[in-house]
Amino acid sequence: MLHIKPIFSSLLHSKSGPLLLLLQIVLSVAIVANASFIIVERLSLMARESGIVENEVFDFSIYHFDKSTDLVVQDKRDLELLRAIPGVIDVAPSSMAPLSGGGWSSNFTLGPEERAKSTPNTGMYMSDEHFIDSLGLKLVEGRNFYPQEITTELLEDGGKMIVTKAFVDKVWPNDSALGKSVYMGAQHFVVIGVVERLQTAWVDNSNVEFSSVLSVNYPADYKRYLVRAKASDIARLKEVIPEILHKEYPSRVIEGFTTISERRIEAYRDHELMATVLTMMVVLLLLITSLGVTGMVMFNIQRRTKQIGTRRALGAKKRDIISYFLVENYLLCLLGGTLGVLLAIQLGQQLMSLYSLPMLALSYPLLTVVGLFVVTTLAVYLPARKAAKISPATATRTV
Amino acid sequence: MFFYYLDLAWRSIKKTPMLSALMIMAISIGIGITITTLNIYKMMSTNPAGDKSSQLFAVQLWSQGPDAWDDFDPQITYQDGFNLLKSDIPRLQTPMFRTGGAVQTEDPSFLPVLQSRVRVTNNDFFPLFGLEFQYGQAWDDSVDKTARYEVVLTNELNKTLFAGENSVGKTIYFNAKPYQVVGVLKPWAPSPNYYDLNNGAFGNVDTLFVPYSLAPIEEYGSWGNTNGWSHESINTYAQRLTSEKHWTQFWVQLDTPEQAAEYRQWVRQYIEQQKQLGRFSSPKADVQLSDVDQWLAINKVVPEDNKVLVGLSALFLIVCLVNMLGLLLSKFLRRAPEIGVRRAIGASQGQIFAQHMVEVSMMGLFGGLLGLAWAWGSLALLTNKFQLEASLTHLDASMWLIAPIIAILAAIVAGIYPAWRVCTTNPSVYLKSQ
Repeated sequence: MLHIKPIFSSLLHSKSGPLLLLLQIVLSVAIVANASFIIVERLSLMARESGIVENEVFDFSIYHFDKSTDLVVQDKRDLELLRAIPGVIDVAPSSMAPLSGGGWSSNFTLGPEERAKSTPNTGMYMSDEHFIDSLGLKLVEGRNFYPQEITTELLEDGGKMIVTKAFVDKVWPNDSALGKSVYMGAQHFVVIGVVERLQTAWVDNSNVEFSSVLSVNYPADYKRYLVRAKASDIARLKEVIPEILHKEYPSRVIEGFTTISERRIEAYRDHELMATVLTMMVVLLLLITSLGVTGMVMFNIQRRTKQIGTRRALGAKKRDIISYFLVENYLLCLLGGTLGVLLAIQLGQQLMSLYSLPMLALSYPLLTVVGLFVVTTLAVYLPARKAAKISPATATRTV
Repeated sequence: MFFYYLDLAWRSIKKTPMLSALMIMAISIGIGITITTLNIYKMMSTNPAGDKSSQLFAVQLWSQGPDAWDDFDPQITYQDGFNLLKSDIPRLQTPMFRTGGAVQTEDPSFLPVLQSRVRVTNNDFFPLFGLEFQYGQAWDDSVDKTARYEVVLTNELNKTLFAGENSVGKTIYFNAKPYQVVGVLKPWAPSPNYYDLNNGAFGNVDTLFVPYSLAPIEEYGSWGNTNGWSHESINTYAQRLTSEKHWTQFWVQLDTPEQAAEYRQWVRQYIEQQKQLGRFSSPKADVQLSDVDQWLAINKVVPEDNKVLVGLSALFLIVCLVNMLGLLLSKFLRRAPEIGVRRAIGASQGQIFAQHMVEVSMMGLFGGLLGLAWAWGSLALLTNKFQLEASLTHLDASMWLIAPIIAILAAIVAGIYPAWRVCTTNPSVYLKSQ
């Protein structure tokens, strides 16, 4: 059925055409495999959850430029006002906004002495007992802060702390975290609760899942607030909040209203850009390669019109003609695919050694070859069907 | 002869419109992708310092203790910046850091605007980085010794505050304190903003400049990065100024390599001096001077992603070339009978070869121009979708030259083999069959 031998010898006979196509297939497999690997890697980064009800939470900042302002009193008053606005579900002060790319982080130590073992770099949200509800976090162990535990400065004897499960798994893998202490110099914080998930401000950092919430609502001239509200109320609140706060106390700038969803888009913009450009490349590459295949088949059909007619006259079915071209293509794809996989692995290793890209998984070049078989089948089948229609009479006409 | 070949080429392209279109398409897509990635790469790797690039140096000090960071920090401590100013070797030198605050005018109806890119610096900053003034000038040298409340505005902020009029002598309020405007800059936006790369290299330009000498008085907060390597309890601004925290940048202008060597020597002596005071305790304590090119490289201003993209798109272009090579081969060989006749009438091999090269170059040119259009389109699309900085995505003027050149060269490379095949074919073979 599969007449490989004549096909093979005819391929060998006209070297340059098939050779070029082979080269193109090899290069395409190498590029497409690596590009799609990077695309999938970026998409999986972007798919990570922040632990926050992103479309219901927004943040904004207040900047007090009048030095005479009593920041502690003003903060308390502002929070009361904000929480009373209809449509606001909850509000928390915070030292930083999630996914924003800027904020506080620290390496805590596990003991008071300077040389004690330290934790990985951990994002620090300094807030109050409203933080968990304002972000819609899920408490999986322990409890929330009590209002009386919130201080306005870092006390010598420290305070309370809520951490993420990822942090606990890293620092105390076989133990309950509740009641454990971490230190910043002499100050220490006691873990009282664990949330399932909360990302820091830096999505490209490997420590992005290590967050802590400290029971400190410290006064600052530039301060951020996190507000939870129904998604449909957010646009209105962005208008209302500056009005109400300015009416209460005018000497300040209120700005930077951003939902966490918007922060997500901003945070992953570069990855999305990379994924988009690479997708463009993969699609165009497949298009060009299949056009190349179609072109070669069309050229061959023209050259072999007589042969095809003769074969048909000698009893070959239409199916046989089509399968001739398909088998020819599969031979090329098989050889090109094999070489392409090898080149893809090479290219992947080069990229890995030059840049901070992870190692190429073997499934990508293999899947690319499978994809190549599918796409080129189409690219061959369409012109080959035309070839099969060549009437046996054409063969006899010019002989 | 050349024009005759042009004519022949044009006819040949018209004779096989589908095939020609396919080839031009292949090469234009390759060029389009390559130019898109190359353009972003080129914009990101621009060195905005121009001629002064090799004379401007960022100063980094290894002041951290033995078990701290394993590299030079991009910033230095306030106290080191203060002390380095005592050297008279650099022609121009300035410490600086980023702050921010609310700006108001004397007009009470003007709502305060938050400026998050305010630079605290000496007046050397302006000549050092080549900033030019539209109105007025930088504050006087005496201000850097004895603080006065004077500011320089960028063109843009001057438009916001004073509708672009000459505002020299007017008063603005920065954090509710009155300052006198002494200068307004001409439009200025270095991309990347190389002198402070801590908070993003693109699209964040300073808008207001205040004297460094005011820092201890006005206690400007740092709105950039602060890095520490030991736990220090800092409760007052004075403690911050004498701490080991790294939060200021320091730049010098050194005109010659000798001057740079002399300065390096001077700083090393300073480090020795400080060691006796118990600072710079690491055995690796040293100074690093980086000119602008080195500084951009150290700070990885061009993201790795862009390099990967440029590499992959070059491979992509090769695929397009191979594709074109195959198509050209089939096209030229199909025309072999016609060539056989031309050869028999007296055309030399060289003439046939030249004729085909002209045809290929013409297709390359078309492909290059079309590719440029693709690149322009895809850059516009990317700018729109990702709100990229316009400075990164506008099509650089040099691309108008680079794109057709790459395209024509690529087409010629792809065309050599097919043209050679067709001109070496024996004419008698084809004459016989006709």
